[in-house]
Amino acid sequence: MNGTNRYVTLKIDGAIVHAMAGTSVLDTALSYGICIPHLCHMKDLMPAGLCRLCIVEHVKNGKSKVTASCTLEVEEGMVILAHTEKILKARKNIAEMLVAEAPNSRAIQDIAVRCGVKNVRYPFRNKACVLCGRCVRACGEIWRSKSLGFVGRGSERRVALPLNERPEYCKKCNACIDLCPMTITPCPGPMKKGEEYLCGLCESQLSMAKDIEDTCVSCRLGDGFDCVRKRS
Amino acid sequence: MPKIKNVSDLEKLALRRKKENSAYKKIITVCAGTGCSASGCGDVLKWLRVELSRKKLTRKIKIRTTGCHGFCEQGPLMVIEPGNIFYCQVNPNDIPEIISESIASDKIVERLLYKDPATGHKVIREKDVPFYKSQDRTVLGQNKLVDPCDIIDYISNGGYSALAKVLGKVNPETVIEEVKESGLRGRGGGGFPTGKKWEYCRRAEGTPKYVICNADEGDPGAYMDRSILEGNPHAVLEGMLIGAYAIGASHGFIYVRNEYPLAVQHSREAVREAEDLGLLGKNILGKSFSFDIKIARGGGAFVCGESTALMASLEGKVGEPRPKDIHTTDRGFMDFPTNLNNVETWANVPSIINRGAAWFAGKGKGKSKGTKIFALTGKIKNTGLVEVPMGLSIREVIYDIGGGSSTGKRIKAVQTGGPSGGCIPERLFDLEVDFEALSNAGSMVGSGGMVVMDESTCMVDVAKYFLSFLIDESCGKCVPCRIGLSRMLEIINDITSGNGTEDKLNLLRDTAQTVSIASLCALGKTAPNPVLSTLEHFREEYDAHIKEKRCPAGVCKALVRYRIDKKKCKGCGACLKACPHGAVVKKGSIYGINNAACQKCGICKETCKFCAITVA
Repeated sequence: MNGTNRYVTLKIDGAIVHAMAGTSVLDTALSYGICIPHLCHMKDLMPAGLCRLCIVEHVKNGKSKVTASCTLEVEEGMVILAHTEKILKARKNIAEMLVAEAPNSRAIQDIAVRCGVKNVRYPFRNKACVLCGRCVRACGEIWRSKSLGFVGRGSERRVALPLNERPEYCKKCNACIDLCPMTITPCPGPMKKGEEYLCGLCESQLSMAKDIEDTCVSCRLGDGFDCVRKRS
Repeated sequence: MPKIKNVSDLEKLALRRKKENSAYKKIITVCAGTGCSASGCGDVLKWLRVELSRKKLTRKIKIRTTGCHGFCEQGPLMVIEPGNIFYCQVNPNDIPEIISESIASDKIVERLLYKDPATGHKVIREKDVPFYKSQDRTVLGQNKLVDPCDIIDYISNGGYSALAKVLGKVNPETVIEEVKESGLRGRGGGGFPTGKKWEYCRRAEGTPKYVICNADEGDPGAYMDRSILEGNPHAVLEGMLIGAYAIGASHGFIYVRNEYPLAVQHSREAVREAEDLGLLGKNILGKSFSFDIKIARGGGAFVCGESTALMASLEGKVGEPRPKDIHTTDRGFMDFPTNLNNVETWANVPSIINRGAAWFAGKGKGKSKGTKIFALTGKIKNTGLVEVPMGLSIREVIYDIGGGSSTGKRIKAVQTGGPSGGCIPERLFDLEVDFEALSNAGSMVGSGGMVVMDESTCMVDVAKYFLSFLIDESCGKCVPCRIGLSRMLEIINDITSGNGTEDKLNLLRDTAQTVSIASLCALGKTAPNPVLSTLEHFREEYDAHIKEKRCPAGVCKALVRYRIDKKKCKGCGACLKACPHGAVVKKGSIYGINNAACQKCGICKETCKFCAITVA
């Protein structure tokens, strides 16, 4: 990119913020404490735009376009709306889909609760993977190992080792396990058939966030999902 | 053959071919497009050749094998010039008669003529056939004039003259200005202004630049791109050459589905011929412009018709779309500026240059200019390819050109724009076919498929069909498209099996809206259209499924019941013999149906000669 140390000014939810050209809208928002939920995005990894939780409205020439903020690079004079009614509704629905896929993940439960999901209208599927691609991308981009990859298309898509065997070039760094949203504090909530609900811990966090505006909900996402509020 | 170095070489070639053609007494044009090949034009051609050589007429009569003429319902088609005599549904057995009557003398074989179903009159000339009469066949019309594997045929019909007109004489900016003025918009579905796209790509930094022709047409029932590429590949090449000159690109690709073997073969042949004549390669027409085209075959993934997925596939990567926050005109194929257009868009370019932007802009209405090809399929009389000026009403396309319903039942809706399009109900048929009007009605022009549905079609079932198609074809990369669509199918399956509730319907709508705004690529963004449009226009059918547990069209098996009308039943027992499940039982002198055993196959209904069996 040309002019990497050039700063641009943009507006996110009305707040005027500065960011270095080339950074993403999501990173900028997070560093200013504007909390945009996200799952697949990680610092130091190339943005992929897979989970679509971080969608925002990009207003340009009077028209608003919905796009993922992690893949959107900052531009001078950009206007971003991250919390409009339309966005919040869609984001809540996406979180609902995710939590119904893998209700046993604490990380995903936290996200769902932050997005305002109280009850899940879809039947639970209890999958072990939501294909966020954190492991695949970390393996390929940070460690240049490419021991993991996506296999299959559409509903058959899954994460797999080459030829289903751990390859020699796997560096055994465990990054894939550490970064997996399924491994971050597994949810204690029972998710057996007929007992499907979101665990109470998340519920209490939600009510706290509702009562006191702009407070951090200590949603544990800070551990693996760098939320700036958590640090402050 | 010597290379063409300048315009006069081109004209000389054209003149020579015209002279050759005028030496023939008659020219027989046989359609060898997709539809006619399926109905057996191969045999017709074979026997035509055999018969002509037997009668020693090969030197006097020319057979021209061409691409699709569009009237596929009546294939195989044959046109005899001079006279414009139009024969349809030609059979190899008809060949001797055709030769003795229409070729050796000037008589007409009455029984092979097209019979206008409205008036009952036989139509002799092709241009008088009602199907063709209301059309404006700017692009498709060339198909019947040229042999796709003969570049000279194309040149003699004014081919490559548009290229000669601009190359080295008009500066690229003016070409772009001309295309912009014409108002040509992308024919692949998006409807993005072509001139604007070219301009962005020209301004983009980085060399080399690429142009790509998207021939990865995958919509069920749509085959217009296929027909152009099979029937007139040089028009596409010429369009790409002009585009490349305007943009400043030096390499091109045609990304064509491998399932279109004839299109692959013809486009390869066309590229080879153009290279032989020096129309592709270095220093084209003696000017300092070099351009080459490679043919890439697609592996059959529907999503690879999306521009970024197509480029990934071209690069040899997995065919998955990427976010389009940076346009492909800036960073496309191999991160170089790339201009991708659809086959039909490219094929429109030469005529815009030849006849001028004003001529093109004179056709169509509002912001949609020019003509568009539609593939009419479904429950319609005249199945085939139709080219009309944009802005014609759907009613005109379906009833005037398409001839109305083929089953005698009332037409209920038309599904436009392929699987990601929407269903438009009969009451909105006065809608003009243009980009804006259709998308306001919840559908889209898309690639131009039009599937006509009559009253025996269940709209919930239609939504289910298209949804399952899109689930199969989704790449699975982003959450809304992968999970959302499968959830939508789950709910629709519930509805069609009688387990639907009002809450589930609301959830279906919510999910559809989320998928349409939050998905990564255009496939996901448009995938809920069939559901959303049927929900809007055919809400009563969803209600019937949910509240009354009834399928009005009698399609959804879990919700229908077969019944024998006591008054109509004559007790012949045909249904009893026909039923493979033993569900028909004798009740005195007449018969009844045991619903517990009935598998709802419908065989009894087809068997009954007295129409005593009803579905409800």
